[in-house]
Amino acid sequence: MPAPISRRKGEEQVVSIRVHQLTKSFRTRSKQEGLTGSWRALWKPEWRQVPAIRDISFLMERGEALGFIGPNGAGKSTTIKILCGILHPDAGTAEVLGHVPWQDRQQLCYEIGSVFGQRPQLWYHLPPVDSFHVYGAIYGLDRDATRRRVDFLVDVFELQHLLHTPVRKLSLGQRMRCEVAVSLLHAPKLLLLDEPSIGLDIVAKQRIRDTIRYMRDEEGVGVLLTSHDAGDIEALCNRVIVISDGQLIFDDTMDELKRRHLTAKQVNVRYLEEGERSLPMAGVETVAAGRYGMQIRFDPRTVGVDAVISGLHGLGSMVDITISDPDLEDIIGTIYAENALDPDAA
Amino acid sequence: MERKRGLGFVGALWRVNLLSAMEYRVPFIMQLGGMMLNNVIYFAFWVLFFDRFEEVQGWTLRDMMLLFAVVASGLGLAMMLFGNCRAIARIVAAGDLDRYLALPRPVLLHVLASRSSVPSMGDFVFGLIWFVLAGDVTAAHALRFLLAVVLSACTFTASLVLANSLVFWLRRSELLADHFLNAMITFSLYPGTLFNGAARVFLFTVVPAGLTGALPVEMLRDFDAATLGWLCAGTAVLAAFALLAFQIGLRRYESGSAIVVRI
Repeated sequence: MPAPISRRKGEEQVVSIRVHQLTKSFRTRSKQEGLTGSWRALWKPEWRQVPAIRDISFLMERGEALGFIGPNGAGKSTTIKILCGILHPDAGTAEVLGHVPWQDRQQLCYEIGSVFGQRPQLWYHLPPVDSFHVYGAIYGLDRDATRRRVDFLVDVFELQHLLHTPVRKLSLGQRMRCEVAVSLLHAPKLLLLDEPSIGLDIVAKQRIRDTIRYMRDEEGVGVLLTSHDAGDIEALCNRVIVISDGQLIFDDTMDELKRRHLTAKQVNVRYLEEGERSLPMAGVETVAAGRYGMQIRFDPRTVGVDAVISGLHGLGSMVDITISDPDLEDIIGTIYAENALDPDAA
Repeated sequence: MERKRGLGFVGALWRVNLLSAMEYRVPFIMQLGGMMLNNVIYFAFWVLFFDRFEEVQGWTLRDMMLLFAVVASGLGLAMMLFGNCRAIARIVAAGDLDRYLALPRPVLLHVLASRSSVPSMGDFVFGLIWFVLAGDVTAAHALRFLLAVVLSACTFTASLVLANSLVFWLRRSELLADHFLNAMITFSLYPGTLFNGAARVFLFTVVPAGLTGALPVEMLRDFDAATLGWLCAGTAVLAAFALLAFQIGLRRYESGSAIVVRI
């Protein structure tokens, strides 16, 4: 086992998650394709260890909102499951709110809330209010305390008209709002969210983000959010960890992520007259071109913004122009590219 | 926030299971009545049998009624209160244990109490009716019957937990667990005196159906402390093995990413 993590004085008060060289792999049977492969595997199975996470280390402060981003199969869910006490790691150490999750799971669960986007907690055939009361009992709250907390959450999450409707009749977005609300029933200090916006449309995603942000700001709930949607991370987190192929490849603030990797500006321009246009300048890349406009990308460290604007101005009478930073999706793509990783590998 | 750490949550789970089952009124009533009718039809075979033969190695039709009463009520009680004991292998294989591990309660108890089977309520009621129809409904006899049912329910639960826990090592053992339950029910419903020697050892170890049917009925027929002692000891040993197997197996749990809703 690796050496325990050294702690500074008073660190217990400010650190909510401490992870050191966490490693986990799964034993998987490999099989050749087809019936012959299945027959062979039946009598002579071949096993291999598939690493899920490798030597991951990070700290998370109390009340912090930390985003865990990476493609499918990167190890995000495995990490969050270890931190909830669901899985045991092969090596490494971890502490969540002072508890070793896989040794002190029950005590830890009173202090954290968790939402797994792919694993609903609410009873499918019953209205959410019944599930709220069961979870109140599971968390050891008396009926009055549960009722008071439910009233508060119903207000914050605007669940008034959903509370008595069977879950099966709710939309995915409405259901997920109820899922997040039930995870906050016992006033946890830390919320672990694994893909809470999976499958939601943009409006539903925005409502989930708003309510999580409200609870983070009003109740000081720490948030550890895993998602492959960069928008979730950008909206909720001030720090981001990028993980791919089980390894941590970036760990810093959102601002630092943008400063280091936001090396391009994107320009959308629209002209009054129809025509074919191009801007043949070194360091300028045409992303898309149409009859009335174009989209270009350039690196402001090598090409001046004023030179690009002058060049575009020389191509005709402009009616509209916007200069923007690329989406976080693009930045993450750049990080994968720098680490020679395939973002679709899963 | 002040918290109660007792077992009150189990009552809340049973309540919500009942609410969930009663959400669909007609299927609820049909399943309940259907299971009772099924048991009556099954018992009709023994009525025809004892019409031709007065007894089978000391067992009469009344003993068979008591046997059906104990097994039906015992199995019914187990499935009503701990309905997931037959579904642990499926839950583990689907990675659905995550939802229980993410909550602050003992995993096995939480899993077991999270499901109540509606048809089993029919089994339970059938058993009570059959006990009354068998006659001799004195307070002492009813108390012994209740004890026999509780012990039978504990044995059913423990042996199913044990069989289902094999999933932690085999990874897929749902069918095996189903066959085990069928074997338990089938062997429970034969007169205890039919089996001797190796078969009797088999029925008190590998498939402990002797503890769910024959021995409780022997206790009802001629009550003595030794039989009750054996019954309690057998149930306790099975429960200890079941708990141990589940706890050791839990360390091997690997989760999963299947999408499962909570019914």
